[in-house]
Amino acid sequence: MQQETSFQAYPSSKLEKTGKPSGKKIRVGHRKTQLQNRLFFAAAAVLFLVCVSFLDLSWEQFTNGLSSIPNIASKVMTISFDALPDLTDGMLTSIIIAFLTVVISVVLSILLAFLIAENITPVKWAGRVLRYILLVIRTVPTTIWVLLAVASMGFGSMAGVLGLIFPTSSYLIKSFAAQIEESGDETIEAMRAVGASWLQIVFKGLLPGLLLPFLAIVSFRFEMEVAETVMLGMVGAGGIGVLLQDYISYYEFADLALGIIIVFVTIFAVELISNRVRSRLARR
Amino acid sequence: MTTILKVEGLVKAYTGGTLALKGIDLTVEEGEFIAVIGPSGAGKSTLLRSINRLIEPTEGTVAFLGEVMNSNSKRSLRRWRAQIGMIFQHYNLVNRSSVLENVLHGRLGYMSPLAGVLGRYSEEDKQAAVDLLTKVGLGNEVFKRADELSGGQMQRVGISRAIMQQPKLILADEPIASLDPKSSSVVMDTIYENCRSRGIACLVNLHQVEVAKKYATRIVGIKGGAKVFDGSPEELTEEMIYDIYQGKEHEMHAQASGE
Ligand SMILES: Nc1ncnc2c1ncn2[C@@H]1O[C@H](COP(=O)(O)OP(=O)(O)O)[C@@H](O)[C@H]1O
Ligand SMILES: [Mg+2]
Repeated sequence: MQQETSFQAYPSSKLEKTGKPSGKKIRVGHRKTQLQNRLFFAAAAVLFLVCVSFLDLSWEQFTNGLSSIPNIASKVMTISFDALPDLTDGMLTSIIIAFLTVVISVVLSILLAFLIAENITPVKWAGRVLRYILLVIRTVPTTIWVLLAVASMGFGSMAGVLGLIFPTSSYLIKSFAAQIEESGDETIEAMRAVGASWLQIVFKGLLPGLLLPFLAIVSFRFEMEVAETVMLGMVGAGGIGVLLQDYISYYEFADLALGIIIVFVTIFAVELISNRVRSRLARR
Repeated sequence: MTTILKVEGLVKAYTGGTLALKGIDLTVEEGEFIAVIGPSGAGKSTLLRSINRLIEPTEGTVAFLGEVMNSNSKRSLRRWRAQIGMIFQHYNLVNRSSVLENVLHGRLGYMSPLAGVLGRYSEEDKQAAVDLLTKVGLGNEVFKRADELSGGQMQRVGISRAIMQQPKLILADEPIASLDPKSSSVVMDTIYENCRSRGIACLVNLHQVEVAKKYATRIVGIKGGAKVFDGSPEELTEEMIYDIYQGKEHEMHAQASGE
């Protein structure tokens, strides 16, 4: 407050003494930052051109593909409601797979997140090791995890849940840990100072403030998970994806159309709800 | 008089090379209210945190009630810390917990880890916490959430949490640096009266010399990580003060710093 008043008094007296700047324009930006920005965009442009030439894009294939779109589109336009019971059943299964995966992953993730968060980890090296394991898990694509699960358990929802737990837990642990690192330092200091043990610091000091942010992360992940299960059904993880895959293989475009609509409506609804939940949480 | 704290040859070198403490000796007797003054960066916070080992000192010893502290055993460390209260510039409360719960956190160091996690505070502790809050003028705020309070009120919760530990020593790191003048004097009075009436020794970091002179039974001046003054408020001459704050004179009287 005090600074503001002194600041207002400053220009009138000071500028007159120093006089006007001599015609030269005054630079506003930070020189090094500007340079970095330009370098970044130049590099991105070059990289883009290199990539385009590398992919060997064929204009012919592209136009051919474009011309066959109306044909397929008209087939998809003829919607059939014959498969409605199957499809709703499949969609429900997909949602359940997503839900189970997220719940199990949350249980696995919460304590592990406190193990790797730099500011509260009880055993530094164990946290570090776990970080690398998670990194490896994340670099393996979700599809591969599901395929591995399918290979060991056979097709179906169980394989879906098992396969998705790995990438989901790894995502949750990392996001939870980032949240812990961002919000905890001062509380941790106070709790250590009263002689609290590690578990007491976690449960009494940190969790009360973390529950809402954690819920926001979980709702966001659930939203991703539903979309993911639909897609992964196509490789045998159960749910509506299996049906969609069948319809495509057998050219049953009328059923496929209904399936796509159901998926669209569901994902749209889930996103809407989870957005609503998150903005509610943010205001608390 | 019993000696509460004996600090000898305390050195702290941070990773990166900053030598924050260059061999500090300091003795705290029972009932003393000691103000530690010095410009920002002098090492006041480092000194306080090295005492309860929130920071691991590089060299030197800290003896609390005749016992040399170390960080070898988690259990003894908890026991020592439980007997040393701490008050922070930013209050460091658990914002989403109730005021009462925050004060009860002062008992965690005396409870088994599991009882603490489950929040099994004894009825006596709860009653004592409510009484304490009433005494510091927060009787109507007991069940509010901590982040619903004003800065001055939050700091009084912080003080209550420290008192709740029934400590022998309280460390206060710039307790009024984020407060307006009126709340500042309420907070300083609260700390002072509680420490005096309960016979708790207190080490309080301050950068305002006037406040230090008003409350302290003894003043310690720190400059560049070394102790340059240790004596009664009367002994602290103007030249001394200017020497301590050399080059940073503007900080001597600063009220609310933006730290
Ligand atoms: N975590 C840290 N890592 C490295 N240097 C630090 C750290 N904390 C404080 N310092 C440095 O140690 C010196 C003393 O800091 P501090 O104890 O906070 O002083 P004061 O509380 O008197 O302002 C300063 O030079 C500061 O920059
Ligand atoms: Mg400080």
